[in-house]
Amino acid sequence: MAAPKMSVGKPTADRLPCNTTSFQKKSRSKLVSIPGTRPSIQNGQLIVSTGVTSLDYVIGGGLAVGTLLLIEEDRYDSYSRMLLKYFLAEGVVCGHELYVASALDHPNDILQELPAPILDDIASPKTEDQAKSCDPESQDAMKIAWRYQHLPKVQTALASSSRFGHYYDVSKTMDPEFCQAARCHGFYLPEHSTAVTSPTATTPETYSSLLNNLQEVIHREGFDGTVPQTKSRNILRIGLHSLGSALWDDDLCCRETPSHGHALTTFLYGLRAMLRSSLSVAVVTVPSHLIQNRALMGNITRLCDTAIALESFRGSERETNPLYKDYHGLLDVRQLPYLNCLVCDLPDNKDLAFKLKRKQFSIEVGLCHHNNPLERVVT
Amino acid sequence: MLLEVLQGTEAGGFILIQDSVNYCGRHLLKSCINTALKREEVVHVLGFEVSQEELNDGLDKTSAQRLHFHNAYSDPLGWTGNSPFTVHQFTLEDIGTLLKQTPQAKAVTLVIDSLSWILRHHDPAAICQKLQALKKGGVVRAVIGLLHSDLHQRGTVGSICHLATSVITVAPGTRGLGAFAKITRRTKSGKLMQDEEIFSINEDLTVTIQSKRSHPGSTPMNTDESEVDPTANLTFNLRLSDTQREAKEKLPLPFVFSKEKKSALLHPGTGSGRILYEPDANDDYDQEDPDDDLDV
Repeated sequence: MAAPKMSVGKPTADRLPCNTTSFQKKSRSKLVSIPGTRPSIQNGQLIVSTGVTSLDYVIGGGLAVGTLLLIEEDRYDSYSRMLLKYFLAEGVVCGHELYVASALDHPNDILQELPAPILDDIASPKTEDQAKSCDPESQDAMKIAWRYQHLPKVQTALASSSRFGHYYDVSKTMDPEFCQAARCHGFYLPEHSTAVTSPTATTPETYSSLLNNLQEVIHREGFDGTVPQTKSRNILRIGLHSLGSALWDDDLCCRETPSHGHALTTFLYGLRAMLRSSLSVAVVTVPSHLIQNRALMGNITRLCDTAIALESFRGSERETNPLYKDYHGLLDVRQLPYLNCLVCDLPDNKDLAFKLKRKQFSIEVGLCHHNNPLERVVT
Repeated sequence: MLLEVLQGTEAGGFILIQDSVNYCGRHLLKSCINTALKREEVVHVLGFEVSQEELNDGLDKTSAQRLHFHNAYSDPLGWTGNSPFTVHQFTLEDIGTLLKQTPQAKAVTLVIDSLSWILRHHDPAAICQKLQALKKGGVVRAVIGLLHSDLHQRGTVGSICHLATSVITVAPGTRGLGAFAKITRRTKSGKLMQDEEIFSINEDLTVTIQSKRSHPGSTPMNTDESEVDPTANLTFNLRLSDTQREAKEKLPLPFVFSKEKKSALLHPGTGSGRILYEPDANDDYDQEDPDDDLDV
């Protein structure tokens, strides 16, 4: 009969009341310890938070460093833009470096609109001390199940149990000093475009100039390991807004048979290769509702690691459907990556609906199928 | 909301009027021009589809000197060699020089009649980039364009609509009441507003809204049948009267402890339970972790 051992040589972690176990894996940390990252419990990869804890849970704990998340935009690009801002805000809070590329708005404008973090973490469950200080009379809310009074309320929104991500208040913008503490690199396409692109150019040069710029930033700042590590390591968070739209000089969205159909796919291939060899993580939004060629959209999805699609109820007939009145839209996980493993952890239920609340972007299990389940391909 | 969109054009706005063969959006476009003229703005019109006389017909004559029509109707592709404006001149530099011809420091509204003409002769991606540059450039205050949605592929129409801050889609109204407009408006803060209205355009090119939010093809709500209440005609009573509810709450539940015992159980004191273990000779109480020699 084994004796209950105390965890030797490991500092006792803060025992969170919402943890069901106090087990801490004892490991001599050969992994790099970068702030804002942690090893994944599923496959041991180093993961970062997307900024939305529900989204972290849905894609399997977080985004693995060196991978690419594709967000298919909703019709008016409101929620996908919000997710991109959450991602960048999480980078500011964790102290990562940021790289923002956009053809529509200047990256500085995007960086000024980041949501403010809630630093005292109101959305987290109450600790036992707080519960003790409450008036015991008021705890009489539970007459029968009074033994469970002090346990935290069960959250219906999906979230993992550790405090890996942060919560943000959408109604306030991030403090400019806080934002400037993070190093940001921007790529605004009108500033970088060549003077006159000849009509006989074979491929749009916008993507290649973006890729070159990104490679130069990664190399210069030492994210790809070429620079000897005298300083501590950091992660580069890359946010690319609305790739594939007409403003990137790509007629993918305009024509059913685009003349440069492989420009975006070539770019994604090169981007993923660059991500794999550096300490960076990228989020790309694509206006997939404008792309008419479904085969091309399938190619784009295959070339990214994780892919989710947002569908907003705004303006569609589903807005008046009583089943959907609590939610702002549907979220579909199109693809999850197999990173150094044979299977990936697929979420149990695929009917996910999202709601953007002021302090949380919550993703919950929806009520009914919105797509023909036979059409869905599970990877 | 249609009137608001026509009246207030904030800087950097791009209003797109989308029509089809069933209903022509040019009347609404002329109404826009009229409103802009009445607001003392300078209006430049790139006319590809109709001639100057036809466009000026019905417009406010008093402010005619603020309206500048660039004739791209007579020779849009430059076949004669000395065309006043060709479709290939739709670039930021050429439009800039065009606007500098009329030196005004005030707000300039650029009206494009129609975008469909330009889209047939240029790459749609390039047109989107130029429109975005016009929107952001500060050369013009607002851009109003007319687009015939049935002339282009859905992706092209979608891409142009994606750029616009307000999109007005017009369709013929039912029962001869007027035309039906669906308005989508995006504010600078990212908020989206949508509305559907039935409107008609008067002789003096003002718009009157006749009714709001009436779908042309929707069926009226069936208010005759009321919802059947399943708890109505039952042989047993599902509801409690007040005295009954009080009696129910006074009933002591089993396993209800007194308050002291409850609080004692809820807040366990120190030393409520400890495990004392003394390993004897046979127990292998090794503090080392056997996994330590794994090189993981």
